[in-house]
Amino acid sequence: MSAGERTVVVGAGMAATRLVEALVARDTGPVTLVGEERHAPYNRILLSAVLEGTHSRAAIGLGLPDGVDARLGTRVAEVDRSERELVLVDGERIGYDRLVLATGSIPSLPPVRGLVGLDGTLHPSVHTLRSLDDCDRLDAAVPHARRAVVVGGGLLGLQVARALSIRGLDVEVVEGGEHLMRGQVGPRAGSVLARDLTRLGSAVYTGARLIKLTEAGLVLDNGAVLADVDLVVLAAGARPAAALARRAGLAVRRGVLVDDTLTTSDPAIHAIGDCAEHAGRTHGTVGPAWEQAEVLASRIAGADPTYDGSRFVARLRATGLDVAVLGDRDAEGEVVEVTNPVVGSHRRLMVREGRIVAATLVGDLSRIGLITQHFDRGTVLGPHEPAALLTPDRPGAPVVLPDTAEVCACAGVTAGAVRACASFDEARATTRATTGCGGCSAAVRALLSTRTSTGPTLERTHP
Amino acid sequence: MTRPATRTATRTATRTHCPYCSLQCGMTLQPRGRTLEVQPWAEFPVNEGGLCRKGWTAGGLRGHRERLTSPLLRDRATGALREASWDEALDLLAGRLRALRAEHGPDAVAVFGGGGLTNEKAYQLGKLARVALGTSQIDYNGRWCMSSAASAGNRALGVDRGLPFPLADVEGTEVLVLVGSNLVETMPPAARHLDRLRENGGRVVVIDPRRTPTADRADLVLQPVPGTDLVLALGLLHLLDAAGAVDTAYVETRTTGWAAVKAAAAGWWPERVERVSGVPAAQLRELADLLAGAEKAMVLTARGAEQHAQGTATVLAWIDVALALGLPGRPHSGWGCLTGQGNGQGGREHGQKADQLPGYRMIDDPAARAHVAGVWGVEPDSLPGPGRSAYELLEALGTEDGAKALLVFGSNIAVSAPRTGHVVPRLEALDLLVVADLVMSETAALADVVLPVTQWAEETGTMTNLEGRVVLRERAVEPPAGVRDELALIADLAARVGSPVPFSTEAAEVFAELGRASSGGRADYAGIDHDRIRREEGVFWPCPSPEHPGTPRLFTERFAHADGLARFVTVEHAGPAEPVDDAYPLHLTTGRVLAQYQSGAQTRRIAELPDDGPFVELHPMLADRIGAHHGEPVVVTTRRGELKATARVVDTIRPDTVFVPFHWVGANRLTHDALDPASRMPEFKVCACAVRT
Repeated sequence: MSAGERTVVVGAGMAATRLVEALVARDTGPVTLVGEERHAPYNRILLSAVLEGTHSRAAIGLGLPDGVDARLGTRVAEVDRSERELVLVDGERIGYDRLVLATGSIPSLPPVRGLVGLDGTLHPSVHTLRSLDDCDRLDAAVPHARRAVVVGGGLLGLQVARALSIRGLDVEVVEGGEHLMRGQVGPRAGSVLARDLTRLGSAVYTGARLIKLTEAGLVLDNGAVLADVDLVVLAAGARPAAALARRAGLAVRRGVLVDDTLTTSDPAIHAIGDCAEHAGRTHGTVGPAWEQAEVLASRIAGADPTYDGSRFVARLRATGLDVAVLGDRDAEGEVVEVTNPVVGSHRRLMVREGRIVAATLVGDLSRIGLITQHFDRGTVLGPHEPAALLTPDRPGAPVVLPDTAEVCACAGVTAGAVRACASFDEARATTRATTGCGGCSAAVRALLSTRTSTGPTLERTHP
Repeated sequence: MTRPATRTATRTATRTHCPYCSLQCGMTLQPRGRTLEVQPWAEFPVNEGGLCRKGWTAGGLRGHRERLTSPLLRDRATGALREASWDEALDLLAGRLRALRAEHGPDAVAVFGGGGLTNEKAYQLGKLARVALGTSQIDYNGRWCMSSAASAGNRALGVDRGLPFPLADVEGTEVLVLVGSNLVETMPPAARHLDRLRENGGRVVVIDPRRTPTADRADLVLQPVPGTDLVLALGLLHLLDAAGAVDTAYVETRTTGWAAVKAAAAGWWPERVERVSGVPAAQLRELADLLAGAEKAMVLTARGAEQHAQGTATVLAWIDVALALGLPGRPHSGWGCLTGQGNGQGGREHGQKADQLPGYRMIDDPAARAHVAGVWGVEPDSLPGPGRSAYELLEALGTEDGAKALLVFGSNIAVSAPRTGHVVPRLEALDLLVVADLVMSETAALADVVLPVTQWAEETGTMTNLEGRVVLRERAVEPPAGVRDELALIADLAARVGSPVPFSTEAAEVFAELGRASSGGRADYAGIDHDRIRREEGVFWPCPSPEHPGTPRLFTERFAHADGLARFVTVEHAGPAEPVDDAYPLHLTTGRVLAQYQSGAQTRRIAELPDDGPFVELHPMLADRIGAHHGEPVVVTTRRGELKATARVVDTIRPDTVFVPFHWVGANRLTHDALDPASRMPEFKVCACAVRT
């Protein structure tokens, strides 16, 4: 690949930004980026945190490196593959040596009557949360609203539900499946989650579909009507934004088809991120998008890495709800599972040949750091380890220190030497215990206070 | 000439400082017959009379049967070392050095110093190399200590002084974040300041893959995967920015570069940090909340953050955190480095470092060369340029363009170098290895010439502790017959190799010369002398004149860059040089234990200090996985070597990490020699390993 060739990126989301950064760092030639949104690139996954109020809106900008020709707030009308040119809606043509589609995904609109008006726009009380404009619009509506319904009980739906709830709204979640997060977790985890959400003050309807928006309220397919709803947020999934690729005649199934080199059916065109379909899979999270961006940037820079799929790790970002999902839902293996509905926790590991291939953690993420490391690195665990990973550390048993046990590491003083002293001051003066780092003061006092008995009982922190 | 402590000192108590770590605890030495008793010096503010067991037992090498008292020469015929007179040893040595220089040029001779040497010795060693030997090949083991903090401090703040404030200042802060420091074990008397901080209502945060005794005294403990401290800092910047906790007024008036750092941090949300670092997002949020809510906070880094191939970047990221919060230069606030070796600070300021001249002057700066050459009485052009960094110098030994002879002072390379399986053969490939030491260290045992030198109680000189406080080590007893101090040895050797200028042997005189050489430099000692240190319990540099009060606190008005502003530096996480894989699935990290110091050449010989040899710390889950049992041997392997040692099964370490202390031969057979691009620090703190029974 010759240096100096022009790369044009369609899309200005997280995959595109990462790619552009990596291309500029590798100095691959001129880079043009075309984005529909008028905002400078920002961190999309933080929108629900901005809505919730835990993340400053001003702090989500991702920034673009110097030297990138950024065309923001414009759209690509078509790709002229024979001329290797993009045609923008205003008619401008931009030539490319390489084209990268990073067009992301668009919210799925459920088949609900009344959702979209005759003019094709959403009903005024209906929102999505895909873009910063969506976020601003929803944010502006919150102060005037009291009651909100979130349609969809997946990751985004739960994040939005928590955000609105924290903003003071009464929130109800309507999920068409039999349990929450059915795309990622099993029914036990889903029911623990539903209990959590209920405990936090939100109502959850599972196995219920919204079918109609009327003056009287929201009509569900089980006959229920939710009245006085001020806000409806659609979080019923998303689909790859592949229309441009389809119009250009590229091979598209659910997403734009790419091979292990992230190349589409046209060798000059690549696709990464949510819009791409690799080995029968599309992703909707930033991890795979960034891995693809890194691989593609290296390839454009002349190296030869390939993309062989991503390890899926999803984390719910919402105050009060702790959820992590690792691996494929379809993975097969042996399951070790601990559910404690009393405290609202569910932990499940799926292990094949000693390796964690999937995991669900709800309500107790104390071991998330370690479990993710084992999962990402494919660590081969011992037979007792999966269960140990799901069991909290046991507190140390009280022990009686024998006379030979060292109490003061700084001065090298044994329990016996301390017991031989009449007072704390004497112990300090004669043994120098407690005079170094001072960490043994409590232990020395305990030894001296029980000097006449059979010996002190000390809580050991590390058995 | 005055000798501050002469024969009377053998009868009366002498105030001096501990021979070991960078705290340089004050202590009083009282000779009793043939032994030397250590007593408290209650007034010295760093330790207030407290010492750890290393300090209390420091007199144990006095009269020790393993003390070297005669020069030793290796007999070429038998390969054995035999005793020789100083004259014979130095004649032979000087002759061989001259011959090697004549045959291969001045860079055929290299000098390797140590962070335990006094300022006077470090200064004379640099002068010996540059003036008497004319070699550019000088560096020291401090490169393996705090060099990453040094390069980060220089880059961000314009100066490299471990702590920019007295250690006792930590008592007045609200949140203290210790990144990779186990000070309760490695410098126990420092813990008093930690405890007082907590008594005052402050919080302590410890970041360490092991839940150490320091962590046991913390309010919040984060246990990251080794080599990911940088990511935690980026994640903190992300959260602080998100929470609106960045001190924008400070950022605007006292710093440059924030915008790029802010953009870089935007990509490190807590869940992403969690996936890389293994630290739950909730814990990172807890730390961010603590820092966001504090008026005063301190971030102190130590070897755990610094001894990485991305050590400089890691420290820079933590300095970015401190700058974003507006901490450096404010009371009871800021960033600092907890230096390791006794004179790690001073040792790097006065000429042992490959690229530096005294006063922290850079050797490639013409003005610096002219100034120092003027003090030395030589032509600026006669001074060599920059040489190789410590590990690179060693790696080149005995090769075509590497040194053929090496003079080692105050360092036990065979134990403390990374990847010793590669380094020891380089030492063996030399034409001439010369080691000056107190005892037959593992490195001395490889030498062709061994020179017996004084220990701390037998000499006078200054040390610069972790606070930048210059303290005075006083002679308390006469050295044993046959032993020389390094100043005398260096002066004698310089003369025998034909130095164009004489070298002083008197510490106070050498220090005065050092003051002139450092005058006007970043580490300016010109206003300090031995008597002033005695009167003032130490003087903080910079101190440009006798009237100057010294500088306990830096940055109160401006940073040390020409424009007075601090620099935010954007850094990226690259991760360990050797990631774990199926063959070597665990992280290995190394460190210290309370009762031993550095390579153990001194402490392993002191009977009162417990010495059970090296051990391998591993978590019960890992022990169960591989069938290891507490107290039984396990074998740790890396791509570079193998170590068999006793297993210690503890639940205080990450289950994906094992720990080996480096005071014994073995740990560094395993370590990796990837170097930091800026500081040339080797990656001691993380590599991939496997463990089996």
